[in-house]
Amino acid sequence: MSAAPLELTKFVLSETVGSVLRFPMWWYSDGLLRLAKWVVQQLNYRWRAYSFAIWIKNLFVPMYGQYDWSGRLVSFIMRIVVLVGRGIGLFFEAFAYLLLTFAYVLTPPLALIMAVYSLTLTLPFFG
Amino acid sequence: MPTNPEIMGQPSPDGILYWEPQLEPVVFEIRKMRKALHAGFHMFLGLLTVACFGLAAWSFVLHEKPADPFSLAYLFSGAAPVFWASLGLLMGCFFIFRIMAYGDQVVPMPTWGLTQTEILKREASESTVGRDISRHFSDAAWETIRFSYDLTHKTGKAELRPIHLFSSALSGPAGGIFMTRLGMDFEKVREGLINLVREGEAGEKPVLAEATKQVLVEAYLSAREFRRKAVGPIEIFLASYNADERLQDVLDAAGYPAAHVRHVANWVRLQEQLREEQSRFRMLARLKPDTAMNRSMTARQTPILDRFSEDLTRMARNGYIPPLIGREREMTELLRAVESGRRSVALVGEPGVGKSALVEGLARRMVEEDVPPELFDRRLVSVNVAQLIAAGDPGLAPQRLMSLLNEIAVSGNIILVMHGIESLVGAGGGGNLDLAEMLAAEVDKGYFLVIATITPQAWTGYIERRSLGTKLIKVTVGEPEPEDAIRILMARSGYIEYQNKVFFSFAALDKAVNLAGRYLREVRLPESALNIIKEAAVLAKREHGEQSLVTGEDVARVIQEKTNVPVEAITQDESSKLLNLEQRLHGRVIGQDEAVKAVAQAMRRARAEVREGRRPIANFLFMGPTGVGKTELSKALAAEYFGSEKMMIRLDMSEYQHPSAVSRIIGEPGDDRGGLLTEAVRKQPFTIVLLDELEKAHPDILTLFLQVMDDGRLTDGVGRTVDFTNVVLIATSNAGTQFIQDEVAKGTSIEQIKTGLMERELKGIFRPEFLNRFDAVIVFKPLTLDDVTQIAHLLMGSVAKRLTEKGIGFRAEDEAVEELAQAGFDPIFGARPLKRVIQDRVENALADILLRQGVNRKDTVVLKPGGEMIVEKYQG
Repeated sequence: MSAAPLELTKFVLSETVGSVLRFPMWWYSDGLLRLAKWVVQQLNYRWRAYSFAIWIKNLFVPMYGQYDWSGRLVSFIMRIVVLVGRGIGLFFEAFAYLLLTFAYVLTPPLALIMAVYSLTLTLPFFG
Repeated sequence: MPTNPEIMGQPSPDGILYWEPQLEPVVFEIRKMRKALHAGFHMFLGLLTVACFGLAAWSFVLHEKPADPFSLAYLFSGAAPVFWASLGLLMGCFFIFRIMAYGDQVVPMPTWGLTQTEILKREASESTVGRDISRHFSDAAWETIRFSYDLTHKTGKAELRPIHLFSSALSGPAGGIFMTRLGMDFEKVREGLINLVREGEAGEKPVLAEATKQVLVEAYLSAREFRRKAVGPIEIFLASYNADERLQDVLDAAGYPAAHVRHVANWVRLQEQLREEQSRFRMLARLKPDTAMNRSMTARQTPILDRFSEDLTRMARNGYIPPLIGREREMTELLRAVESGRRSVALVGEPGVGKSALVEGLARRMVEEDVPPELFDRRLVSVNVAQLIAAGDPGLAPQRLMSLLNEIAVSGNIILVMHGIESLVGAGGGGNLDLAEMLAAEVDKGYFLVIATITPQAWTGYIERRSLGTKLIKVTVGEPEPEDAIRILMARSGYIEYQNKVFFSFAALDKAVNLAGRYLREVRLPESALNIIKEAAVLAKREHGEQSLVTGEDVARVIQEKTNVPVEAITQDESSKLLNLEQRLHGRVIGQDEAVKAVAQAMRRARAEVREGRRPIANFLFMGPTGVGKTELSKALAAEYFGSEKMMIRLDMSEYQHPSAVSRIIGEPGDDRGGLLTEAVRKQPFTIVLLDELEKAHPDILTLFLQVMDDGRLTDGVGRTVDFTNVVLIATSNAGTQFIQDEVAKGTSIEQIKTGLMERELKGIFRPEFLNRFDAVIVFKPLTLDDVTQIAHLLMGSVAKRLTEKGIGFRAEDEAVEELAQAGFDPIFGARPLKRVIQDRVENALADILLRQGVNRKDTVVLKPGGEMIVEKYQG
């Protein structure tokens, strides 16, 4: 089986050089969407791992089966503390993802500008 | 939408499905190249990125350090490190883009990774967006298509047809597994396949035939149905097989029927699917806690429970429980019962049908949290009831049970599984306290849920009418259909294969299910069949070594050893034995040609498996005077075919003249020993049941045999159904003897005598519906003098045989034998008086001679006419 050499050359060029042109378009459409999906997935997983839904549902249920009033009180306070603690954890994680997203959006143009700017100022090889 | 408007798509919940790529050599070459090209290019990009950062670091170290490297002034100073680092970042982003956008050519199926509920939701909507299915074909599937293209091209055909796809899939790795499992000899189908491939118009550049496109869409749909990650070669294999009827005919003619082909292909797919499923399950399992504590931390320490139980959800989480196959109906019922207001459930089913498997399946779903909210964040814990009662002082059993239930109630996150709850009934330290009542009261409070398993007999016998029975919702777990049982075996076979390092053929599983379903009724399918294939695997490994194939014959041998029922393929030896059965029976039974022939034919029908399998092998009624060979024929059959005279269950019906004797035959309720007949048949299903002197039994007892003769089964006193489909039922009767003798004396034909018997003589003795159920009513003729002479010869032969054991020869002269026959002939009593005559005249005389020590070893005793006995001395 022999393929047309022209088609193969076209394919190789489009897959390598062509992808440079596709890069910016993909970065702010498909890529950004994928990142967003990934972030949502990660937060969702964390939400489930921290079992917020279960803890909120059981807010007034005493821990370790301590059904006396002191047990209930301690449990309630404990649950609030844990919920708040985990909430803070989740918040920081979400914040980190936000920073990551910003970095994602800004890095390519900034890096390009910096590179071009630096190049125009001096020839870096002899700088 | 397809870029080519001529392509028609097929609507589905995933969108309009169509196959986009034109098949050309370049398409395949590009696919192949793509992988290599991208790998090289990505490595180059990766190196470039690293190099940029390296240069940045190098130039930073080499040059004069700035006062503040993070100041804006430095960043905009045009310094070399800033340039290289920026370039590195840019390259890095490009690298990420390349990996993400060009990394994997195969896009996972849209249904991959979704739960059952999510898929159902998806099913409801119909998308109109086009979907090019070629993107969801795995690399191996593409390889199959490429190979089929080559095949079409090489044979110079204009169209790539489903047969090309099939041939290509068959030659791939999945096809190899398929052929091994099916036990397929490729040479047998080669010719037929080549002929099919050679059909069709000639052409230079092959294109996809319309039927082939449809096959590819079908392959996609089937991968979707089975929640595969991508379309694989086995889906192409199945879809192309289903699409081509002539191909099915070719395989069928070679001995591979469509049902088997589909089963085996599904098996190959099932094993691939289970591997994929396992990785998905493991991901979900990480969210489930590995301790007794639930995620909401409401649970409590349960020391007593922990001592008598095992945590099924934990076992499932850690991968010790295999997935549940089938059983959708039972699972839905179980979940519905739990959902409908926290009710406890009893799973009622015969041993071995998979009650535990159902519970374990629930444990797996609880790990995935694919369950109603009532079961969310809970543990499924199985308690061994017998152990709980037996451990320690039996008087303290109620206390142990109470503390255990208390722990469960307080902990609140436990679903209790109790196997064999009937052992609770009557237990309680001998006092008035009954553990079952205690459990019922606790269940009624509703603090926890119980899932109990129990057999139907125990359920009706012990639980149903008690308060515990009213508290539990009954969910019946039936024996799976053979098809489902085979699927279960397919899923479980992987582990057995891995343990024993052997492979199962489809015939092995098929035989295991069919034969176990028929002959091993103590434990039900699928467990009975599972046990058989486990043993067959060990047997095959021992005899043929590792990596050998477990065949249907291995399975048949295991079953034959267990039951004595001949299920192995008929050997040359056995087949000649069967074909000459009449002759062999005549070696012991003189005359009575009709009876001998009927019996021999019944045995041949049974062994060649042409009979209907729902009744005994044969039901015979032997009529005739005493001493004409009725019982002797039964014994002869037992000795010739069943291996020994002892392979016969003989009931003298004169012992069953009172209706109360029924309990002796089938046993009494509550008595596990069972009845004389039912127990004997249960232990030895392949046998002769001889009912001697049937007319003497009480009519109620005869009624019992109506069911045996009609359905081939009998329920014993304990409620177990005993299988009678492998017995030969022979009843003998002396009723109407006078009539037979009179008519024979008149010279009436046997046929007319039989009609007379049935219509008049037997009417008062047996009910017509009873007589009707016999396959044959055989009239034994009274013996003639000639018959008696032959019998005398036979009996002399047996005397000689007994003496040979002592090393002494024996011969009777013909005249002497005739004298004996004359003396022993009695038209009324048949051959019986002959036996007495021989005893008197031959055996007594022999005893005298032997005692007088007049005979040495190797001497011969000769019986002369007139009863004279002489000793011929050994001449050396």
